[in-house]
Amino acid sequence: MWAYIVRRVLATIPVMAVVALFVFSLLYIAPGDPAAVIAGDQATPEDVERIRASLGLDRPYLVRFADWLWDILNGDLGTSIFTNLPVSTMIAQRIEPTLSLMVVTILLAVSVAVPLGVVAAWKQGTLADRAVMGFAVLGFSVPVFVVGYVLAFVFALELDWLPVQGYTPISQGFLPWIENLILPAIALGTVYIALIARITRATMLEVLSQDYIRTARAKGVGQRAILFLHALKNAAVPIVTVIGIGIALLIGGAVVTESVFAIPGLGRLTVDAILRRDYPVIQGVVLLFSFVYVLVNLVIDLLYTLFDPRIRY
Amino acid sequence: MNRRDLLALGAAAGAAALLPAPALSQAANRVLRFVPQANLANFDPIWGTQFVVRNASMMVWDTLYGIDNTFTPRRQMVESEEVSADGLTWTFRLRPNLRWHDGEPVRAQDCVASLERWMVRDGMGQMIRALRQELVAVDDRSFRLRLSAPYPKMLLALGKNNTPIAFMMPERIARTDPFQQITEYVGSGPMRFNRAEWVPGARATFSRFEQYVPRDEPPNWLAGGKRMLVDRVEWIIQPDPATASAALQQGEVDWWETPLNDLIPVMRRNRNIRIEVADPLGNVGCLRFNHLHPPFNDPRARQAVAWVVNQPDFMRAVVGGDDALWKQMNGFFTPETPNYTEAGAEILSRPRDPAMARRLLQEAGYSGQPVTMLVAQDLAPLSAMGQVANAALRAIGMNVDFVATDWGTVGARRASREPRERGGWNIFFTWFAGADCTNPASYLGLRAHGDGAWFGWPNDPAIEAGRDKWFAARNAAEEKAACEEINRAACQSLPFVPTGFYRAYQAWRSNVNGIVSGPLPWFWGVSKS
Repeated sequence: MWAYIVRRVLATIPVMAVVALFVFSLLYIAPGDPAAVIAGDQATPEDVERIRASLGLDRPYLVRFADWLWDILNGDLGTSIFTNLPVSTMIAQRIEPTLSLMVVTILLAVSVAVPLGVVAAWKQGTLADRAVMGFAVLGFSVPVFVVGYVLAFVFALELDWLPVQGYTPISQGFLPWIENLILPAIALGTVYIALIARITRATMLEVLSQDYIRTARAKGVGQRAILFLHALKNAAVPIVTVIGIGIALLIGGAVVTESVFAIPGLGRLTVDAILRRDYPVIQGVVLLFSFVYVLVNLVIDLLYTLFDPRIRY
Repeated sequence: MNRRDLLALGAAAGAAALLPAPALSQAANRVLRFVPQANLANFDPIWGTQFVVRNASMMVWDTLYGIDNTFTPRRQMVESEEVSADGLTWTFRLRPNLRWHDGEPVRAQDCVASLERWMVRDGMGQMIRALRQELVAVDDRSFRLRLSAPYPKMLLALGKNNTPIAFMMPERIARTDPFQQITEYVGSGPMRFNRAEWVPGARATFSRFEQYVPRDEPPNWLAGGKRMLVDRVEWIIQPDPATASAALQQGEVDWWETPLNDLIPVMRRNRNIRIEVADPLGNVGCLRFNHLHPPFNDPRARQAVAWVVNQPDFMRAVVGGDDALWKQMNGFFTPETPNYTEAGAEILSRPRDPAMARRLLQEAGYSGQPVTMLVAQDLAPLSAMGQVANAALRAIGMNVDFVATDWGTVGARRASREPRERGGWNIFFTWFAGADCTNPASYLGLRAHGDGAWFGWPNDPAIEAGRDKWFAARNAAEEKAACEEINRAACQSLPFVPTGFYRAYQAWRSNVNGIVSGPLPWFWGVSKS
C-alpha cells in the first residue's frame, strides 16, 4: 500500500510537468498583452512597449519558460504582473473562501444526493423515483448562474433570509460564515446533486438485483439494512468515483458561483487573471487546481480499499 | 420580523450592554461601502493609468492643483505660485502643515521627484519636460521650474483630472522608475490606503487620515477642502451587475458607481435607492480607423464610413431605450462644454447618406477587400457599437471581417502596425471619457502626428497646428478658435468617427448624502445618516 502511495505521488511529478508546459505554452500563444491592459486605453504604443520590456515579456519563449520553471522548482510561483503581490500570497488570500464553498457544497451534495439516489432506486418506477430523476434532469440542464440568481432573488431579496453576496471568514464566527455560503453552495451543488443522485440510483439498481441481496431478503433482513448496509456499501465505489470526478465540475462551477455571489475565491481570481492576462497568476492557479485534482484522484483510489476489500494495491 | 432581523436584534442586544447606544449607529454610519467600476488590480496611478486606479488614488495622494467644475485649476497643496514676467520661471510654495501618511512633513523635494516621475508618462507632462531647464527645490516648502519657452497651460497640467494625474508622493517612492510599479502606498491625501486589507479583485479599504488639513474653501471636484465625513471607505468589487444591484437593494453596499442600464428600472422601484447621472461629462463613443493600411489610409474611405454612422443607432444600442442618456454630437469635443463646436461638421450633422458613402468608397478604389473589425465582446458598449457598425458597413458593400474577441486581445492587437492579413486591423471601437475630450490637451484620440499618435496613427498637420494654437492660447476666445480649427480639420481627415455622446447613471442608498456628479466619484463631503 505504502509503495503504491509513493509511486502515485511520484507519478504526479511528470503529470505536473506536462501541465506546466501546457499552461505556459497555451498562454504564450494566446492573444492578448498584459502590458496593453496595464498601460490603459489612453497609453501610447511606446508606453506599452516600455511596460512590456519592464515586465520581461519581450524575452524569448524558452528563456521565459526556463526562468519560470526554475522559480517553480524553488517554490516560487512568481509575482503578479498587476498587483505586484506574490502569486502565493494572492492564492493564500483566496483559498479559504473557495475551500469553504467546496467543502460545504460537497457535504451538502453528498448528504442530499446519496439518500435521494437510494430512495429512487428503492422506489423504482414510482412517483418518488420520477421526482428524483426529474430533479436530476433539471439540475443538469439549468446553468449554475441561473440557479444562483433565482436563489438570491427568492431567499435574499424577497424573503430577506440570507445575504446576497460576500464572504465572511470562519474566524469571524460560524453563523456569519455559513450564512454567506448557503445560497452559493446550493447553487453550485445542484448539478453535483443531480450527478451523484443519478449514479447512486443506477448503481443501487444494479446492486439490488444481485443474488446476495435476494438471499438477504430471503433470510429476512430488513429493508433499511439491505439498502444501507448491503447495497449501498457495494455501490459505493462508482459513487465515490463520481464524487471525485465531480471535483473538476466544482472547480469550474466555483468560477461562476463566486462571480454571482461576489465571493473572493480562487475562481474569481482565475477569471480576473485571464481577462487581464496576468500570466503568473493564471499559471499558479492552474497548477494548483491540477495538483488538487491529481491529489483527489489519489485519495479516491485509496478510498476504494475501504469500500471494497477485494481491491488491494 | 424575519430571521435576519431576529439575529440582528439578538446581536444588538448583546452588544448594547457593552456600548453606549448611539455608538452602534455611529459605527455603521462612518463606513461607506462603495462598488467601483472595476477591480483595483494595481495601485500606482503613474504606472497604471486605468480610471479605477486614478479614482482610488484621488483619496490617497493629493495634487498641487485641482480643477473645479468650471475646468479652472485651483490651488490644492500649493499655497501660492509666482510666474516671472516672461512666463519662463514658475515658483510654487506649499501650504504649511502638509504631512505624509507616515507622519513625515511634505517637502518641496518630494514634489520635485513626483513631478519628474509624472512628466515621463503624461502627455502634458512630456511637453513641460521638453521645455524644462531646471526643476529644483528652493527650500522645504518651495520649488522652482524654469522653462525654455512659456507654457500657459501649466496650472491645468498640474491640476487636471485626466490620467495620469500629477499626484504627489514622498521622494523615496517617487524615485521609482515610471515604468515600474511602486511598492509603498504613502500619500498625503485625506485617506490612507490599508494595504494589509487589500485583496485585489475583492476589496480595498481606506481609513481617514487624521492629520490631513483640508483647505478652507468648499469642495468642488478636485478643488477646495477635501473633508472626509466617514472614517472608512470600503471598495467592494462586484463582478456581476445583478449581484451588485441586489446588494444595493438590500443595503449590503451604499453606493454603486456604474449600474447597468438594464437594471435601472428595477432599482428605481426601490424607494431606498437614488439614481442620478454619474458624470455630466459622459463618454464619447469612438470608431477608430487604422490610417496605415487600405482602405482607411485614404480619407475618402474614412469619410464613407462617417456618412453611414448614424449616432442614434449606436447610442440606443449602447444605452438602451433611455434617450435622456445620450446626445448627438456633431463635433469632436465634449458636448455642453466650452470648447464644443460644430464648425465644419456637416459630415456628422447632415442626414446620413449611404449613396454618398458608396461613391466615396468607389473613388477610394475599394473593391471588396476584407476589413478587419476588432470588437471586444466583454465590454457591452463596444460590443453594441461593433454590431451596429457591422450592419452599417455591410449595407454599403464593405466586406467586414468581424473579429469577436475580448478587450485584452483588442488591447494587444490594436498596437500592431502590420496589415490585417499579418495580424493587424482596420477598425476597433472604444470610448473616451468626456472629461478627456473637453480640450486638446488630454485628447489622445485627436492627436494626428503620425507614428507618434495614438493607435491608428493618423497624420494630419492641420489638426496638430490647431492643437499648438490651443496650447499657446491665452484666453478662452483663442482656445475656442483653436478648437474650431481642430474640429474642421478632424471632420475632413477623420482620425476617428464619433459614435455619439452618452452618459451613465450611478446609484446609492438614500441614507447617503453629499454625492456630487462629476468625472469621477468624489468621496469627500459624502456622509451616511
